[in-house]
Amino acid sequence: MFRGRPAVDHVSFRVARGRFFGFLGPNGAGKSTTIKMLTGLLRPTEGEATIEGHPLEKELLAVKRVIGVLPEELPLYERLTGEEYLHFAGRMYGLSREETRRRTEELLAFLSLEEERGKLIVDYSQGMRKKTALAAALIHSPRVLFLDEPLNGIDPISGRVVTDLLRRLAQKGVTMFFTSHVLDVAERLCDEVAIIDRGRLVAQGTLEQIRAQREVGQDATLEDVFLKLVAADVRREDLSWIG
Amino acid sequence: MLRARERAVGLALLLPGLFFSSLLGSFFAYAGVRGAEAHHPDLVPPLLGLIATGVGLSWMLSPLLAGVSLSESHDVSRLLHFPLPLPTLVAASLVGNLLQPVVLAALPVLASLSLALSRRPAALPFALAGSLLSLLFLLAAAQVSALVLHGLSRRRRFQDVAVFLVIGLGFAMSMAPIVLFSGGARFLGRAVRGLAVSDLAALSPFAWGLLAAVHAGRGEAVAFVAWAAAQAVAIVLAGAVSALLIERIHRGELDLGGAVRDETGRAVMRLPGRIGALLEKDLRVAWRDPATKATLFLSCATPLFWLFVFTRTSGGLSPSGLLALATLVGASAFGNAFGLEGRGIALLLGFPVDRWRILVAKNLSGLALRLPGLATLLVMGSLLAPPALLPAAATVALCTFVVAVGIDNYASILFPVVAARPGHNPYGGAAAGGRGLAAAALGALFFTGTILAASPFVFLAWLPMLLERPVLWLFSLPLALAGAGAVYAMLVAGAAGVLERREPDLLQRVLGEA
Repeated sequence: MFRGRPAVDHVSFRVARGRFFGFLGPNGAGKSTTIKMLTGLLRPTEGEATIEGHPLEKELLAVKRVIGVLPEELPLYERLTGEEYLHFAGRMYGLSREETRRRTEELLAFLSLEEERGKLIVDYSQGMRKKTALAAALIHSPRVLFLDEPLNGIDPISGRVVTDLLRRLAQKGVTMFFTSHVLDVAERLCDEVAIIDRGRLVAQGTLEQIRAQREVGQDATLEDVFLKLVAADVRREDLSWIG
Repeated sequence: MLRARERAVGLALLLPGLFFSSLLGSFFAYAGVRGAEAHHPDLVPPLLGLIATGVGLSWMLSPLLAGVSLSESHDVSRLLHFPLPLPTLVAASLVGNLLQPVVLAALPVLASLSLALSRRPAALPFALAGSLLSLLFLLAAAQVSALVLHGLSRRRRFQDVAVFLVIGLGFAMSMAPIVLFSGGARFLGRAVRGLAVSDLAALSPFAWGLLAAVHAGRGEAVAFVAWAAAQAVAIVLAGAVSALLIERIHRGELDLGGAVRDETGRAVMRLPGRIGALLEKDLRVAWRDPATKATLFLSCATPLFWLFVFTRTSGGLSPSGLLALATLVGASAFGNAFGLEGRGIALLLGFPVDRWRILVAKNLSGLALRLPGLATLLVMGSLLAPPALLPAAATVALCTFVVAVGIDNYASILFPVVAARPGHNPYGGAAAGGRGLAAAALGALFFTGTILAASPFVFLAWLPMLLERPVLWLFSLPLALAGAGAVYAMLVAGAAGVLERREPDLLQRVLGEA
């Protein structure tokens, strides 16, 4: 509930293993709330979810073992270094000290964080924080990844590295639950999308299926479909005082 | 809901308190000044100067000393995008502060002070003007200090050092009156008289307006004009410094960033198991957090302070005194573990770790941070009391500590006092104002609960001393430790259940505030 009305209302969907699932919607539609509920950070007033066969309400810890989460806001331990944080995350997921060290080295190199490994996170830029959080979400080889705006604040080179990695992970059977406002990126990455507006699902399926259901042309982009589905009126009059 | 209740409790405590303190302050200001004018008129200016300086310094540093900012530190640098002159912004912030509750509460005190200083009715407006000039300078100086703190907060390493030092200064200032009183009224009187006779306060710009008021009340026009002019110049200068700071903060000149630290090779978490990793994480974070580091040092200073008071007031440390002290030190182990996690709580509870492990790790880090204080107590106790008492004192401190942290787990789950983010005012939000007072009231409640729950184990450690049969300690001390351990295990098991049930609520609460 948010200010007396349901933030997410009767949302129901199923994502097959290894799919790249885009969860899209305008600001305030309920995307982050849904992710928070699916990762155990928020308790729904009603309804249930099952992730990798584990009912969320009853087996929360089992769910947390198989998921990796990259939240939109990045609550990292500001007074640990990036490297310390990854070591800590590995140990929390039950990895051995040696395995944690090996994976940390690989992740730091992969995400170009090696030079910043000894810096406290409080001194990191937004992009570095995002990459550190992504590294922590990947360190235990999760079977489902929740990615809330994963490319925000990341430079184009790292963005390309990250999207290639995510695509490869999906090919290897990792399920991606992805939100983004950048619809052309979503269109390139996602096998399937769901569009949520004011807390309710308005469409779900592959882009082709949604185009067919909603009778939009076959050359319509995801952005065209999205704007039509959320009934967004993007036409504006000029400002009266600007000649 | 809870936050609204806390705010209501805070307001209920704050407003009557302000009203009565204003009333009392007015009475004492009037009676004190009248009495001093009648018997020691020569002491009135230096004494008023001393008081004004003390109040001014405390007010300036109030966000750090008391956890509550007495006047608002408006972030006017955000308004520099608009075409407004800097002096206008500085003046607007000062005028805005005139409506703060504490400032309004100070006005009757200044009025009665001016009335007491005025020997003729015609002098009253001038005395009042002098007093108000003092208040205005105080607000201008508080604005400067708030801007300096703001500037420091943008350069983390400076802020860390400043927070660390000012917490120490706050501790020293809050302990100073007790130390002075423990020396007796005569010592206190001598100290105040010495300061007054030296007339050092005349150098303090906090005093100049009040000195003008004194001379206005006595009909000394030239002296009044001189002090009032000096105070007006000081106000203008403070305003100019504020304007300069605002401009530099806006340009980012005070935001110089931090240096890179190379910690390569020390990143591995060495302690075994998940509890070990959690404990090591907490200790590393605590050591790098100036507020926690300062608290660590203060945990050593507090037993020393109490030992000093005990020895000054009762001429030595009795065996019962040492055990009582050990009880107090052990029972003050409140850690507010989840509140201090701040936004990190989403990470912590996102890991697939049994909740009881998280609680135990938090409690162990609390114990580790208090070990220096406990060691100080025992070392000093061994110098002042019979050494044979030390095992009993250590047992009492440990028993009360484990019960205290067991109970504190519930407090930190149900009533977390949320820590501010780095770079933000560390004494704002949940730790300030009415909610800060409400949290203190809840803390007192849990402290009482701890003393009650730990009392059987403290009694077990005390019993051989009461019976004058020290050999019984061989049985009673292990029994007390085992009993406290069992109570702790039950408390942790219960708290883990509460945490599992209330996890989303706790997350919402902490994330909503951090």
